[in-house]
Amino acid sequence: MIPGHEEDRFALLASIDEVTDGTVLLGETVARLLEYVVPAFADVATLDTISPQGVFRRIGSRVEGPGREELEKGLLRRRPIPEAPVGLPAALASGESQLIERVTEEDLRAIAADEADFELLRGLELRSMLDVPLLARGRIVGALACGVGPSGRDYGPEDLRFAEVLSGRLALALDNAGLSAAVSGLEQRLEATLTNLAEAVIVRDGTAKIVFANPAAARLLAVASADEITDAVPGSLMALYDVFDEQGRRLELSDLPSAIVARGGEAMPLLVRNVIRATGEQRWLLHKATPVLGRDGSLAMVVSVIEDLTEVKRAELAQRLLAEAGHVLSSSLDYHQSLQRVAELTVSGLADRCQVLLRSDDDGLEQVAVAHAEGEVPAGPDDLGVAAEAVESAEARLAGRVIAAPLALAGQPPIGAIFLAMDQSRRTFDESDLVLARELGQRAAIAVENARLYAERSEIAATLQRSLLPPELPAIPGFRLAGFYRAAGEQNEVGGDFYDAFEVRGGWMVVVGDVAGRGAEAAALTSLSRYTLRTAGKLLGDPVATLEQLNAALRQGTGLSLVSVCCALLRDVDDDAKAELVLAGHPPALHLRDGRPEPAGVFAPFLGAYERGEWTPVTVRLEPSDQLVLYTDGVIDTVGEDERFGEDRLIAALRGASSAGDSVARIEAAVRGFARGPQADDIAVIAVERLSGAGRVGQQP
Amino acid sequence: MRRAGHLSLELRRIGEASVVSARGDIDLSTVARAAEAMDAARASRGSVYLDLREVGFMDTSGLRLIIEEQQRAVASGYRFAVFPGPPKVQRLFEIAGLAGDERLFADPARLPSAGGIG
Repeated sequence: MIPGHEEDRFALLASIDEVTDGTVLLGETVARLLEYVVPAFADVATLDTISPQGVFRRIGSRVEGPGREELEKGLLRRRPIPEAPVGLPAALASGESQLIERVTEEDLRAIAADEADFELLRGLELRSMLDVPLLARGRIVGALACGVGPSGRDYGPEDLRFAEVLSGRLALALDNAGLSAAVSGLEQRLEATLTNLAEAVIVRDGTAKIVFANPAAARLLAVASADEITDAVPGSLMALYDVFDEQGRRLELSDLPSAIVARGGEAMPLLVRNVIRATGEQRWLLHKATPVLGRDGSLAMVVSVIEDLTEVKRAELAQRLLAEAGHVLSSSLDYHQSLQRVAELTVSGLADRCQVLLRSDDDGLEQVAVAHAEGEVPAGPDDLGVAAEAVESAEARLAGRVIAAPLALAGQPPIGAIFLAMDQSRRTFDESDLVLARELGQRAAIAVENARLYAERSEIAATLQRSLLPPELPAIPGFRLAGFYRAAGEQNEVGGDFYDAFEVRGGWMVVVGDVAGRGAEAAALTSLSRYTLRTAGKLLGDPVATLEQLNAALRQGTGLSLVSVCCALLRDVDDDAKAELVLAGHPPALHLRDGRPEPAGVFAPFLGAYERGEWTPVTVRLEPSDQLVLYTDGVIDTVGEDERFGEDRLIAALRGASSAGDSVARIEAAVRGFARGPQADDIAVIAVERLSGAGRVGQQP
Repeated sequence: MRRAGHLSLELRRIGEASVVSARGDIDLSTVARAAEAMDAARASRGSVYLDLREVGFMDTSGLRLIIEEQQRAVASGYRFAVFPGPPKVQRLFEIAGLAGDERLFADPARLPSAGGIG
């Protein structure tokens, strides 16, 4: 029997009544109850509840003596094995109190779940054990188990009876306080909920000790079990991780919401990048923390909820990166600059290092862009072998801390590779990074190809444009020429208009023409037209025959190629100057005499429209200082405030023009003054002025 | 301010005929849409008419569209005609030597349907 006075025992019972008046939280109640039992009545004690559904739950354990914490934890995790014929299992099964006055190894073996459990029990060095069911309203609501040993005490039948009284009080107290119901019902449900919750839940008590963690917490923090978290020394878990905020700043435990709340502060949810030091695995975790206050207003608990936003964050990062990269890649034709920018974007969230390599002429890989998270690129290991493999195989490669994806358009051989590496971060790449890298590679490839094509096209365009316009209008004996050409749109886009002046048999041919359409096709057509006119003109020396030749050439192509031409053959024979003028789908030329413009020419179909056309020449006599002004429809179609420029304005602008140069200048000025908005069409003007006798002398070659 | 480059298009079926009515400008910036309307009109396999009466301006790109349609009609054996536009538009047909092409133009009042669409 336990030595001690009767009064002490009554005092103990009174204390229990006091503790269980329902004013303290469950955890605290149980802890204090057990404090009264141990060491006064026992060296070891545990308290359990059993729900009406029969769910067993150990709500407290207390051990006196050395190694106390470890033992308490061990006991808290123990569950009775139902078939044991002695001890707690027997008490719960029968509802009868169990006394083992002399505990044998055999008893321990009977109630131990396994070898470790046996060792735990043996470590308690128990001499006597008591297991008493807690009965309330005719139901077993729990159990109290007590043991003595290290203190040298033994239990006898009298102690069993006292334990039964004690248990009765405990049962009543728990039941009265509704705690047994709370424990078996609410808490059970709560724990079940928390167990199944995807979010990690960690509860710390007022001393920052972790008292509860659910399985999700163990998963997120990459430890074997929730117990490992609750067993951890406060603050020690943090050493397992590198934690950064969204801006990449390293965070300490004290920066986390749970710590802020524990200090009495208010904490906003905090998104952190959690890198597990051991494996390099990275997760984006959203930390939230809420305080739970005790009745007296002091901090009783801090509940932390940690949400795994890795997928969300990665998807967001990936999306943002792709969007930004796409924007960068499409906004500039300088692909070196664009790729550099993409590399910089990539290291701001996805990798420590990003290199972009392009296949060089000798089939090697040439680095065209590189960026590093730390700013400066360290002279790291030469790990670009993976990039070469990616180019070789046209497949993205993932090798732990490096990823390489080919730069390739769909179905085409790679033109290079994008290479990502983790240098100082402990993070490793995974499949989702690979998908992203592949995507980046494709976009970069498109950008590079576009830029290359564009450069090629610009070059072709520039070459064409140079070739399409006569570098200088030729000096024609007896005449003076002035021209004006302005292409619509971008500088490097070849217009569809052209003019030309060249010598033919018996005279000079002056033409302006307009090709329907724009872009490379129109440029090709312009080129064809101009050179066909030149060649045919020189060979045939007749404007109608020349146009027929071009018509035939245009009809040979696939599709409809329409060209409008105004062609004038200038002849100056014995001081009798004439222009033989032919129109094909073209507005009339203007013949200026004494500064009065008159339309000239017979309307006829476009070249290229029909197999045969009736192109009719008209002959215009050119007196000294007469002018013939040829223009394309870009002049009369010029868009103004609320009208097109039109033929009438053109005629008005030319009225009184004194020379070829004056005519061209007047048209240019009038059109510029009239135009609103961007120029929609090309404009080509050529003015031919017959020189008077004095002027002609100067023009003789 | 009336902006250049505005074009609204309407496709109507009148008997077996499809009529594309254009209102606004047919130029480089709008011709692609006009071409789409013509494609839609052609899809119903009857006669195709392009109504230019409400067209304020047309440039050679519009003319090219009409010449293409005309040639397609000859090749495929359907009737295509244009309801003439205002003088400025007709001027373009004149310049292109098409003003006298009687087959190209039709009088909307004489469209073979219940009362025409004049």
